[in-house]
Amino acid sequence: MLQTLGLEYHYQHGKKIVFPEIEVERGQRLLISGFSGCGKTTLLSLIAGALKLQTGDIKFDDHDYATMSSLLLDKHRADHIGYIFQTLNLIPFLSVSENIALGIRFSQSRKSNVTNLNQEIVRLVDSLGLEKEALDTPVNRLSVGQQQRVAVARALLGKPDLILADEPTSALDSDTTKKFLNELMDTFDSTKQAIIMVSHDASIASYFDSVIDFNKHYV
Amino acid sequence: MFSLLLKSMRSRIIPTSLVTISLMAAMVLLLSIERIQQGTEEGFNQSISGVDAIIGPRSSSLELVLYTVFHLGRPINNITTKTINDIKVRSDISWLVPIALGDSHRGFRVVATEPNYFEHIRYGNNQPLTFSKGGAFNELSEAVLGSDVAERLNYSVGSEIQITHGSIESIGTKHDDFSFKVTGVMNKTGTPIDQAVFLDLKGYELLHLGWKSGKKVFSLEDIDLSSLPPDALNPKTVTAAFVGLKSKLTIFNFSKNIREYPEEAISAVIPGIALSELWSIVGLVDKGFQLLSWIIIAISLIAMVTLIIASLDNRKQEMTIYRANGASPKFLAAMVIYESLVIGLVAIIGAIVLVTAVTYFATSQLNLALGISPSFKWISLNEVKVFSIILFAGILSSLIPAVMVFRKNLHQTLG
Repeated sequence: MLQTLGLEYHYQHGKKIVFPEIEVERGQRLLISGFSGCGKTTLLSLIAGALKLQTGDIKFDDHDYATMSSLLLDKHRADHIGYIFQTLNLIPFLSVSENIALGIRFSQSRKSNVTNLNQEIVRLVDSLGLEKEALDTPVNRLSVGQQQRVAVARALLGKPDLILADEPTSALDSDTTKKFLNELMDTFDSTKQAIIMVSHDASIASYFDSVIDFNKHYV
Repeated sequence: MFSLLLKSMRSRIIPTSLVTISLMAAMVLLLSIERIQQGTEEGFNQSISGVDAIIGPRSSSLELVLYTVFHLGRPINNITTKTINDIKVRSDISWLVPIALGDSHRGFRVVATEPNYFEHIRYGNNQPLTFSKGGAFNELSEAVLGSDVAERLNYSVGSEIQITHGSIESIGTKHDDFSFKVTGVMNKTGTPIDQAVFLDLKGYELLHLGWKSGKKVFSLEDIDLSSLPPDALNPKTVTAAFVGLKSKLTIFNFSKNIREYPEEAISAVIPGIALSELWSIVGLVDKGFQLLSWIIIAISLIAMVTLIIASLDNRKQEMTIYRANGASPKFLAAMVIYESLVIGLVAIIGAIVLVTAVTYFATSQLNLALGISPSFKWISLNEVKVFSIILFAGILSSLIPAVMVFRKNLHQTLG
C-alpha cells in the first residue's frame, strides 16, 4: 500500500537525514523507534503529504507523491490518512464530538463511509474505552489519556487507509499506555487499515507486526 | 467553515470584540460626521427659498444671511425706508418684503415685517408657509408664531405676548406697556422660521416710539394711539428686505445696481451664493473631522490586523490540527480573511444602528441650535460606498496575516 523510495531530507539548519526504506501493507502495524530528533515527525509529515518531498518519492496505492501538487496532497491526506499527535490533539473551543467529527470534515470519501455520524462516534468512543459522559465534557477537562483516545477516534472515523501516530503514548503512564494500545489495536480495522506509529519507547514493540529502529539508520 | 470560524472567534471573544468595537466606533464617528454634514448642508440650503435677493446695509454677505435667515448675530446698520421705497418701484422687482430685527420674546427672535411675508417667503423646495391655526396678522397689535415657539411656550391663537427690547431676555427691558395678540401659528418648516415671532412693522415701530438710544423715554400707556398721525408708525428704517425679481436672469444686473445705489451704502446678496459661502466655512471644519475619522478607521484596521497576527501564535495548535485532518493552507488563509470580514461586517451593522441613533439625537440638537432639521435616513448610497471601502480595506489588510499563514503552513511538519 505504502512504499518510500530513497527519502532524504535536508533541514534549513544544515542537518541531513537519509530515511530507511519503508513498506507497509493493509492490516500491518509498523513501529518506528528511535530517539527524539532523529526525524520521525519529519517522516510522518512527508508520508502525510504536509511536507514537500525533497529527494526520493513516496507511493501510496496508485498515488505518486512526487507528481502531486500540495493541494492534491492535502486532499489525499484528508481522504486516506488519520493523524494522531503526541499531545494537544484537540481544539479547546470545540466539543469532544466536534473534535472527533473533524476527522471527516475535509473529506467527501471519508464522510461517505459514515452513515450515521453520532452513532459512529458513540461506537468508536465506546470501543476505545471512553465513558459516554466524556462526549459532553469540555475537552480541557479530559485527562491526557482520554484526550488521546478522542484523538484516536478522530483518526479512525470514516476508516482512512493509514493511521499515522506521532508518539501518542509519550504523555501516558505505562498502565494507561498498555490499555490505550490494546484499545487502539482492537478498534482499528485490520482488513482495511494500516498503522505507522513512531515512538522512542521500544517496550511497546510487542503490539506491532514489524519494527524499524531509526537509530541504526541515522546519518 | 463558518461554524468553525465563529467558534474559534468566540474562544477569543474579548480581544476580538474589543477590536470590533473600536472599528465600529471609528465608523460611527465618520458616518455621524458625514450625516450631520449632509443634513446640515441640506438644511442650510433649504432654510430659505423663493427669495432672489436680500438687500441690507453694506457688510459681508455672510453676516447679512446669518441675521436675516438664521436670526444669528445682530445687524450693525439699518437701511432707511426711503431707500426701500426707491427700490420697491424698480421695474425688475416683482415683490419686496422688508424686515426689522432686534427684539425678542422669551429667547425667540422677533421678526417685524409686512403681512405679505407669509405669501412670498418660502422654504425647502419652494414650499409656501402655511398656518396650522389662524392666519397672518392684519393689525399692528397682532402677531404670528413659528411652530416651535407656539409648542414650547404653549401658546395658541388668542394668547397675549409682550416683547423684550434686545435679543436676550435677561438684559433687555420688556416692552411691558403693549401686548400683541396671536392670530396665527405656522406649520413646522424645519427652518429658523419655526423659532421666530412675527409682528407687523407698524406695531414694532409703535413699540419703539417711546425709545431713544436704547432707553425708554415715555410709556405707551400715556399715549392715545388714535391721536397719532397716520404715517407716524411707518418705520424710518428697517434691517433688510427680501426681494423677488420678475426674472431671475436680471439678478446680477440688479445686485450691481443696488451696490451702486448713490444715496446709501447697501448691497444685495443672492441667498444661494451666500449660503454656499457660509457652508464652505462650516464645511471646512467638517472636512477636518472627516479626515480625522478616516485616520481612526485606518488605525482600527491596523489594530485588527495586529490582533489577527498576534493570535496566530496561540492558534498554532488549532491550525496544525486542521492541517493534519486535511485542511489546505488555502483553507487556513481563507479563515483568516473571513475573520476580518466578520469583524468588518459586525462593526458596520453596529455602526449603522448606532449612527442612526446618534443622528436622531444630533438632529434635534441641530434643530435647537440652528433651527434647521436635517432629513433623517437609514443609509445612503454614499455610505454604502464608505462601507465598501472599509470592508475592502479590511480584507486587503487581512491578506498580510493570511499570506503569513499560507506560507507557514505550505511546507510545515505536523506537530
